[in-house]
Amino acid sequence: MQFEGTERYYLSPELREIVNIAIAMEKPLLLTGEAGTGKTQLAFEVSRALGLRMEEARCKSTFKGEELCYVYDTVLRLNDSRFGSGDTGRDVNNIWDYLRFGPIGRAFLAEDRRVLLLDEIDKTDSDTQDNLLDVLEDGSFVIREINHKVTAAKRPVIIITSNAKRELSDPFLRRCFCHYIPFPPPEEMVMIVRLHFPDLPEAFLEASLTTFYRLRDQGFEKPPATAELLDWIGSMRTSGASGPGAGRETSHIGTLLKRTQDLLKFKGILKPGRF
Amino acid sequence: MIGFVYQLQKAGVPVSVQYIIEFYRALQRGLVTGLDQLFLLSRLIFIKRVEYYDIFEQVFASFFMGARDGVPGGIEWEELLAGKPFQEWLKGELESGRLTPEMVREFDTEELLARFWETVLAQQGEHHGGNTWVGTRGRSPFGHSGMYAGGVRVHGTGLYGTAQKVIENRRHINYSDRSAITTENLRQVLTSLRSLRPVGPESELDVDETISRTARNGGEIELVFCRELKNRVRLIVLMDNGGYSMTPHIALVKTVFSKIRDLFKDLNYYYFHNCIYGTVYLDPPRTRSVKWDKFLSESKSTRLIVIGDANMAPAELMASYGALDFYTSVRKPGWEWLRELRDAFPASVWLNPIPRDRWPYESATITGIGRLFHMEDLTLSGIKNAVTHLNIQGQAFDGH
Repeated sequence: MQFEGTERYYLSPELREIVNIAIAMEKPLLLTGEAGTGKTQLAFEVSRALGLRMEEARCKSTFKGEELCYVYDTVLRLNDSRFGSGDTGRDVNNIWDYLRFGPIGRAFLAEDRRVLLLDEIDKTDSDTQDNLLDVLEDGSFVIREINHKVTAAKRPVIIITSNAKRELSDPFLRRCFCHYIPFPPPEEMVMIVRLHFPDLPEAFLEASLTTFYRLRDQGFEKPPATAELLDWIGSMRTSGASGPGAGRETSHIGTLLKRTQDLLKFKGILKPGRF
Repeated sequence: MIGFVYQLQKAGVPVSVQYIIEFYRALQRGLVTGLDQLFLLSRLIFIKRVEYYDIFEQVFASFFMGARDGVPGGIEWEELLAGKPFQEWLKGELESGRLTPEMVREFDTEELLARFWETVLAQQGEHHGGNTWVGTRGRSPFGHSGMYAGGVRVHGTGLYGTAQKVIENRRHINYSDRSAITTENLRQVLTSLRSLRPVGPESELDVDETISRTARNGGEIELVFCRELKNRVRLIVLMDNGGYSMTPHIALVKTVFSKIRDLFKDLNYYYFHNCIYGTVYLDPPRTRSVKWDKFLSESKSTRLIVIGDANMAPAELMASYGALDFYTSVRKPGWEWLRELRDAFPASVWLNPIPRDRWPYESATITGIGRLFHMEDLTLSGIKNAVTHLNIQGQAFDGH
């Protein structure tokens, strides 16, 4: 199984090698890096390129970890036991009718190999991460209520992303292959933009990238990233602008800078005071 | 290979035995077909945090690519002359006829080295504007590694792809643990600070209670939720805005702390000048003062972060009436005030913008205050240590 990238996604040789090593070693691949560097996108592209189905878990801060494997719907069962399950086909005496499998559960139970994406794992508590550790390591979890062990039929390709909102615990990191996706340098950015806008005139592209990288260097609170760049070029194309403009006249600046503070700073209204 | 692992460990990267086993397993599977794969594979296995990328790259360069790790503080000429880059360069020069064997014998070592550096610098200049190795000097424990990495290219043009490129650019240096906080690594600093106070989930279904109440209700369902509220604490940031050493940091420090405001019940800034003499101020120009007793009467669980260079004349700290400020005439010496502060805030830490390795040279008062407060420098690792310290110290007082 070799991952070679797809026509919509520019894959740096480094990253391709890393994905393939992780797949070969059957280790979860943890991707960190600035927002908008294509961490989540990579998982989708891996699933497309390898023809594997995708199981996706968008993490929330309230997650305990277990619900990614399964949820035992107590309230529904209580309700059914009180009012009857009607014609839903559920049997109150059969606990399996009240177990719902989460993305991890589905990936483990599936007959085919799947790509499992745990998106923004850093939103969860460190306890949650610890809970997930053993599950991912052994490829199995136990349904506590009936002491039933679910073991992965085929180990999924696990891709985890983190925006580094919170520090991940050391044991968690130890069990993953970790890769920090650096922000693409201009040469790579040219290729990325070309994939999305194949007919963009050379001069237009060059002017946009110059402005873009200059803005990134100005130390904004949320520096514009790849996603913003693509939005920006897209909106300029749609509006038929002939070029990105320069300095304060830069068109569609709102697509690049999202924070009010940054916009004000850009427009020069806010004098950066000392205190 | 084991030697490489030990070098990593020596350079301060945490390594576990498990990694070594994993590494050999990967070799068995034939995953390494070249230097680039070796570089990526060993980085994936051994390095878990971006903070260590820079160190890893330097160690890798030194171990696998012929660059020797330089001893900080001195260039080892003998080793350099015997080393591969220099020998290869010499061979090349002789073969191309730019140098003749006679010239080599005539020239003394210095002359030869000068020519060698010329070549290296010229090549560096073509690629990086000529200041790569000069600029990075002293920023890592491998003081002169940059020079050697330059030397590698003299004999190995085009041999190495990704690894060489990545290492030479040192693009991870801003993320290194040892670098001071800047806008580039602001995110990481925030990450560390966020671990100050984890906020847990707030409500969940209490299954046991629900069932027992439902049973008591004769089967009429009653849902019971329990609340898991974690006590949130106050944070006080006390900043020295007098000294020149602090000025460049204040804006940044305030941005950093305002970002984590939501993690605390309350976040307050106070200001002082150089040392504390019974008053702290609410505003940066230090006009609105706060009574000392009131300031000290905070709950013991309040976290205190003092940010200042702790650099002052010893008399300021130790003598009565020591304040430099003309209008401040207070009998108690600064030391006493600081001790009162320390006693009032058991969970406290002092962050110093002066890098740790310069503390002993900057001023004796740094060491003095360091004995009173747990002191860290304003770098990523310093902030991390500070956070850990605050969490441990604070635990005893939470919930009061």
